[in-house]
Amino acid sequence: MENQTISPRQFMFIVILFTIGSSILIVPTPMAALAKQDAWLSVILSVMAGLLLVFLYNKIGESAKGKTFIQASTYAFGAWFGRLFSVFYLIFIYILAALVLRNIGDFMTTQIIPETPLQFTHILFLLVVIAGAYLGVQVIGRSAEIFIPWLILLLLFMVLSITPQISIDNLKPVLGNGILPVVKTSNIVIGTPFLEMVTLLMIFPYVKESKKTSHAWLLGALMGGGVLLLITLLCLLVLGPDLTALNAYPTYKVGEKINIAGFLEGLEIIIAIIWMITIFFKLIVLYYASSVGIAQFLKLKDHRPLLLPLGMGMVVLSIIAYPDVAYFETFVGETWMSYALTHGLILPLILWAGLAIKNKKSNNT
Amino acid sequence: MNISVYKWFARATVILTCLFLLTGCWNSKELDELGIAVATGIDKNDDGDYVVVVQVINPSEIATDAPTNRPPVSTYSITGKTIFEAFKKLSAKSPRKIYFSQMRLVVLGEKLTQEGIMPTLDFLYRDHEYRASFYVTVARDAPVDKLLSIVTPYEKIPANKIMNSIDNVQLNWGVTKGITIDKLIADIRSPGISPVLAGIYIIGNEDEGNNMSNVENVDAPTKLEIDHLVAFKDDKSVGWLNEEQSQGLNYATGDVKSTIVTHPCDDKGTLTVEILRTTSGIKANTKNSNPSATISIEAEGNVAEVDCEVDLGAPDAIHKINKEVEKQIEDLVQSTIKVSQEEFESDILGIGGAFHRDEPKYWKSVEGDWDQQYKNVEISVDAKVKVRRKGNSTQPIDKKG
Repeated sequence: MENQTISPRQFMFIVILFTIGSSILIVPTPMAALAKQDAWLSVILSVMAGLLLVFLYNKIGESAKGKTFIQASTYAFGAWFGRLFSVFYLIFIYILAALVLRNIGDFMTTQIIPETPLQFTHILFLLVVIAGAYLGVQVIGRSAEIFIPWLILLLLFMVLSITPQISIDNLKPVLGNGILPVVKTSNIVIGTPFLEMVTLLMIFPYVKESKKTSHAWLLGALMGGGVLLLITLLCLLVLGPDLTALNAYPTYKVGEKINIAGFLEGLEIIIAIIWMITIFFKLIVLYYASSVGIAQFLKLKDHRPLLLPLGMGMVVLSIIAYPDVAYFETFVGETWMSYALTHGLILPLILWAGLAIKNKKSNNT
Repeated sequence: MNISVYKWFARATVILTCLFLLTGCWNSKELDELGIAVATGIDKNDDGDYVVVVQVINPSEIATDAPTNRPPVSTYSITGKTIFEAFKKLSAKSPRKIYFSQMRLVVLGEKLTQEGIMPTLDFLYRDHEYRASFYVTVARDAPVDKLLSIVTPYEKIPANKIMNSIDNVQLNWGVTKGITIDKLIADIRSPGISPVLAGIYIIGNEDEGNNMSNVENVDAPTKLEIDHLVAFKDDKSVGWLNEEQSQGLNYATGDVKSTIVTHPCDDKGTLTVEILRTTSGIKANTKNSNPSATISIEAEGNVAEVDCEVDLGAPDAIHKINKEVEKQIEDLVQSTIKVSQEEFESDILGIGGAFHRDEPKYWKSVEGDWDQQYKNVEISVDAKVKVRRKGNSTQPIDKKG
């Protein structure tokens, strides 16, 4: 259906943007609330665990031999059971996309345009995403290539201009509460974004030179994880663990603290731009994956007719997904991990086993 | 042919849609519809209601070559059950919607600081319109509405005058501190340190100061001046530090950039050293089972003013000056420690934070009632001063020649 391809390099950029995505926005607060000044150690732990997950996803992608997750599950489990299996995966991606959309909407309405109704922010943001998904994976890959230098420049600028405000004392005492809170807290970053990366199995087959794909995925996850570590460290070093936990969007507050020689102030919008870029790519990957997935599920030749109706559904779902921010925080803290674990670890493991058996059978005959 | 018309039409539609969607905001407000607030004063009246005073700039007076005799700022004063209610009631008095993102200063009334400032800070920190870059100060012996209505000489906007003065005093004398709201909240919430805030007070007659005639004098009769620091315990003020104690606090926290130290010479007269940079660190330890802390301060300076007979050419003399200045600084810091332990019982120096960093196990056991424990901590001060240069003159300039 799709004969577009992307290069491993572009795939790596997509992985980086996907990793940073909404995590940069919602991760530092709960991390600092639970692990205090050791939150950055938790990020390191989660990145290590995340790399293991990516390793697993790579194995699945390789044994699927050019099939997407949906195609591979019908191949491995047959038309009926395979479809049932895919339904869970598709619903997971679709709900995740709606939540990511709500993340950016909540941020915009809290910090920048409080009087604009949420759904208009969502509709406008989604229109661009739909345009991207319409044009296909090749365009997504190329635009990732275009935006990556900007992302790096903005991040560099932010880090350099905030260094005068850093206080190393904020990280002390290291491991003052023991190692246990650090380990417990690491599940936050494992859940967002690493378990969500199972979505990328829908894009995996479109990468040419499939040998380099797994390498690109690992490298991208490592670099994205590095950025998350950097952001968490900056929040802790500049604001301290207490204020990081207290702020809904601590990275934004870090941006507010930038003050270069008294005249370069109010640069928090740089942070907002970083978020916009990264969340846009995360959302576009999720949206593309769910529309292509549904098209393959229904055996449609083209995913494009699905884009608009799916978008309408997503705007509604993103509004009704949770009634208020407090509900969302509880959801992320208590429910999300097990939900993501089911779909990001158990489903792929079953698929992997199914593929292994099927591949062995077809080799024998 | 038909296809190209269709394409042209599609392009025009996209461009037009973008024009409409990208150029405006949902609720755009032009600059001439906004009143730009530069300072906010918050206090409580005797009924327990909040009194909110907002200082708004008059753009026509600030950005013009031909100023009239109208004042550069106006103040509005409102009361309300909550702070936000008061702000919303502002619209009854102000012709424009008040815009707070450019705010430089918050002045808290003394009554409010005695009752607790956390509810006020919660509002200021929660609302998205406030940037966290303004200074929080306390009005000393003056109602906030009077204080924010003083017309200041030289600097047209009183809020700017206060903020610049705080910066100047901090940079050149070291007896006050500009505290931003996030630092304040973090200090209140942290058990290991208690906050301090800068004070402001009025010199002269407060009722005359709000008239433009105040600044028509070369020496304005009513002025705003930056006072020393006020110490807090949790979110309630517990007392004012004097000049020495304020300076001592700044030495201990490493916030002195530049200041002077004057000490008497052997026989008569004084010698003044200008301090150019200081750094400080606090080390805590629990050896011998009684908690103690050491504040170490390093300072560098120049000989600035010599009013006595001393041979500045001798290395011994410089060494002696170093020792004298060290003792002066140690005494200053000790006076701060004394007042914080005995009178305020509030850890304004952040000794608890040092225990948290250096002795996390001990800290866990005392964190709960640190205010009580703090009184018994033995704190020593160790200053190292290096006087490097002595200015243009090699020796004291005296009459003998």
